[in-house]
Amino acid sequence: MESLSNRKKVLEQKPMNFWERLYLPAIFQGMAITFKHMFKKKETIFYPEVEREFSENWRGMHSLKRDEQGRERCTACGLCALSCPAEAITMIAAERQKGEEHLYREEKYAAVYEINMLRCIFCGLCEEACPKEAIYLDGPIVPANYLRKDFIYGKDKLVEDPINIESPVAGN
Amino acid sequence: MAVIYIDNVPYEVKAGKNLLEACLSLGFDLPYFCWHPAMGSVGACRQCAVKLFKDDQDTKGRLVMSCMESVRDNLYCSIEDTTAKAFRSQVIEWLMTNHPHDCAVCDEGGSCHLQDMTVMTGHAYRRFNYKKRTYNNQYLGPLINHEMNRCIQCYRCVRFYKDYAGGKDLDVFAAHNNVYFGRATDGVLENEFSGNLAEVCPTGVFTDKTLKEHYTRKWDLTMAPSICQHCSLGCNIIAGERYGELRQITNRYNGDVNGYFICDRGRFGYEYVNSLNRIQHPLIRSHVPEAVNRETLFDHLKPLLSGKVIGVGSPRASLESNFALRQLVGENQFFSGVPETTAEMMEIILSVFNTGDVRIPSMKETEEADVVLILGEDLNNSAPRLALSVRQAVRNNPVEVANTINIPAWHDAALRELVQSEKGDCFIAYPVITKLDELASGTYYISPDEIARLGYAIANFLDPQASAVPDLQGNMQGHAVLIGNSLQKAKNPLIVTGVSLQNPSIIKAAAAIAAALGEGDRKAMLAVVVPDCNSMGLAMMNAPSILNSTALSTIGSPDTLIILENDLFSISQEAQISEILDRSTNIIVLDHLHNPTSARADIVIPVGTFSEADGTLVNNEGRAQAYFQVYMPKNENLRESWRWLSDLKNLRDGTTDANNVTPHDLIRQLADKMPQFTGADQAMPTADLRIKDQKIPREPHRYSGRTAMNANLDVSEPKPPSDPDTPLSFTMEGYKGLQPAPLNSFFWSPGWNSNQSVHKYQMEVGGALYGGNPGVRLFNHINPGDRSYMNGIPPRFKPDKENWEMLPLPHLFGSEALSSLSKGIAELSPQPYVAINSMDAESLNVDEGSILQVIIEGVQYELPVKIKPELPARTAGLPYNLQELTGIKWPAHGQLVKG
Repeated sequence: MESLSNRKKVLEQKPMNFWERLYLPAIFQGMAITFKHMFKKKETIFYPEVEREFSENWRGMHSLKRDEQGRERCTACGLCALSCPAEAITMIAAERQKGEEHLYREEKYAAVYEINMLRCIFCGLCEEACPKEAIYLDGPIVPANYLRKDFIYGKDKLVEDPINIESPVAGN
Repeated sequence: MAVIYIDNVPYEVKAGKNLLEACLSLGFDLPYFCWHPAMGSVGACRQCAVKLFKDDQDTKGRLVMSCMESVRDNLYCSIEDTTAKAFRSQVIEWLMTNHPHDCAVCDEGGSCHLQDMTVMTGHAYRRFNYKKRTYNNQYLGPLINHEMNRCIQCYRCVRFYKDYAGGKDLDVFAAHNNVYFGRATDGVLENEFSGNLAEVCPTGVFTDKTLKEHYTRKWDLTMAPSICQHCSLGCNIIAGERYGELRQITNRYNGDVNGYFICDRGRFGYEYVNSLNRIQHPLIRSHVPEAVNRETLFDHLKPLLSGKVIGVGSPRASLESNFALRQLVGENQFFSGVPETTAEMMEIILSVFNTGDVRIPSMKETEEADVVLILGEDLNNSAPRLALSVRQAVRNNPVEVANTINIPAWHDAALRELVQSEKGDCFIAYPVITKLDELASGTYYISPDEIARLGYAIANFLDPQASAVPDLQGNMQGHAVLIGNSLQKAKNPLIVTGVSLQNPSIIKAAAAIAAALGEGDRKAMLAVVVPDCNSMGLAMMNAPSILNSTALSTIGSPDTLIILENDLFSISQEAQISEILDRSTNIIVLDHLHNPTSARADIVIPVGTFSEADGTLVNNEGRAQAYFQVYMPKNENLRESWRWLSDLKNLRDGTTDANNVTPHDLIRQLADKMPQFTGADQAMPTADLRIKDQKIPREPHRYSGRTAMNANLDVSEPKPPSDPDTPLSFTMEGYKGLQPAPLNSFFWSPGWNSNQSVHKYQMEVGGALYGGNPGVRLFNHINPGDRSYMNGIPPRFKPDKENWEMLPLPHLFGSEALSSLSKGIAELSPQPYVAINSMDAESLNVDEGSILQVIIEGVQYELPVKIKPELPARTAGLPYNLQELTGIKWPAHGQLVKG
């Protein structure tokens, strides 16, 4: 049959000559390349001791943000879960009680917020959907683990550490 | 029919409608707020503007509110006109200036009409940079939440609450930019229909407070079409679940039954499903430990089923379950678990319905009545949705004048202006004041026997051939003539009666009136309120009451007694029930909650509630309606009663079903066995019904968190549960278009996320759903002739010094056992009391609040006195079926002693 693109190359397998059948030249050629690399800059890094620099639009582990007063920004509106193409986010909303105003920014908050990291594809749609600037995929790589259940990330792992935010305020 | 031109395209539409309705019926998306299909137009929100042209030559046109424009032939209008579009988007921008934009924390978000309309008009950016006005919110009770800042002043809430439902305590205050919708002071909303505010309000001012306890967005709920279980009217509801918990009940439109509204008992009475008191495991009391698995249970049950087995059916279990029990125990061993008097009354009702002498109205038809006579029912408390219909019916007579002066039926503002407080005739005979009394042209506070006698006197007046009432009290004949005259003049009279007062004569009398009114094909409507959601279905099975003395003699001492979803101790005296239970060697109880009856059982089998089971119920008008399982319970012991009972039958017979038994199979067998159920199998669709080879989803396509929500239980994502019983699927996959009406799991249409999308499911706005409203009317087979109900006039009521006549007074909250388990409803239920009139109180030397000892057949209750001056002498009212006052054998007499 005629080739559709007319760019097809027909390859033919030539029989090896004597030198080629010895294999030694090819071996030395390969060893030379290997030796050359010993004096070149290393391509690998010692992860996790050393980490690569991430680009600015890198999407890593999610973090749930706090506002400048250290209150959780998430109001459990559900838009991240709605937009999630992997259906990997679920949450339980709760009403803020009197006296909890310093903990939660608005009348509602997520009592439970869970991401199934095995399912997450780090597309960032949750970040885009969030009307409260509460979720960002600005964390590190999600670490490997031995148990599947350890990939269910709850608020304990996701919510930003309050100290990180309060310290600059304290310093002022 | 009229031809109108919308954007130069001709359409044929129904005359007599307004332009907005016509446009929506044709499928156009036109935004609106104040107009409501059930409440008509007032033209307040200015949102539905379209351009109207004089004729096809007119190019300039003028803006009109489409909801205030009658459809007429050769009407030219434009929806797409740029001025009209700009006007609509400006109106919404202006309405939104004070709106808090708090959708993220608002309960309405995702099912919000305001959101939908804002998107529809294209208003996307807020230009108004000034301070918003704010309000203080009110406490409106445990059922409804108030958040006034979100209000856009459409006035729908007060129009529904005050004008449509007759509420007194919600109003509009202040003026201009500070209009406030609320109560004069904080407090519980008094009206029985306050829950509808959450649906009527286009935004989140009024929201369901019980939903807040376990908040879930509409798109995250697994929903199924269901039927309310809390009274006999069979209102259609949508039940929603998430995380294995029933979370919300909303109205499901059925043009023939509940229309757009349900009562608060139905909306908020669902929490028993999530109760901690649920039976979770099969229990064998003699076994250690009591909780057993299915194999042990079946091994234990096998020998028990071979002896003499008696089955007790339930008025709150589905037709399927009752029939499965009847199949298990055999026709002659099947009894109904209702009190003897109830059984007697149901028998009368059935025989009246079967004669065809009366017209059995649907709730929609009751709204069309012009004269109403209520005999012995407090509708607001025993069948609330029907009270709302009666409220609309009394407007029919005065509204008729509107036709003569060219006011269209949808023009609500003009009609109310015209009608003012004028009402059609409505007569109420009941021992105490009812909420509908304010509508009545005549109220008669008389004892149950006297109500029946009044009824017979009316029947005698209408039809002299009916037997005359002897020894009629002084002015009774006058009343009878007055009511009779009014009924005779009526074009469409409605008689409402029921079982509340536990007096069979009242029902007979009401039937006699309806029969006397009917001539030829023009029959009078007779609506009857029956006790429970499937009382009618159970009664149609013609099983005698288990408490009937002849039934008791046939029972003898059975080996096994199977009690289906029924707390027998609540229907009669403890001694009587104990006597029956003691006869049997083994008692098997199938129920969903622990109760005194299950405490007495030797074997308890857990069953699913309405949200965990499929079934069919027959409502008070004989309409068979199917309800569907909402979710698969995590606990696999919670199975439908009919599935357990079918299994038990197989266990006893040593057979196995080749296929899974579906509810449709059971209903079809039932209809084959008992011809009175012919047609009921149409109500429950076959399990293999597919639309374009697809099942119908229970979840909206936006359902979120599927791979995460059960991850705490099982990260490996098990296969979603399948539903072999019905055409519905437990997932979001399936046919997305218009479903058959009985299978509408939720109402949604592109751009219409709120419940307002229901008009996309209707053939015309406010009309029937596509494919007809759900439900199949039974009672097609009439055997005329039997008019025995014409007789049985009770003797004149004589006040007895010693023996007081006890009157069961139903309460919206408290009188229905299951709904009373909801927290909010329990809070609003009355405390037990005994009501007597002032004269009797004086003779007993007691005041309001002092304690009286009430002794009914040897059982003593200590109750505070409530004085109701209108009560007949020597009668005492007790709140019916209150948790503290169950186990009374009605009708009851008793002694009142000062304690």
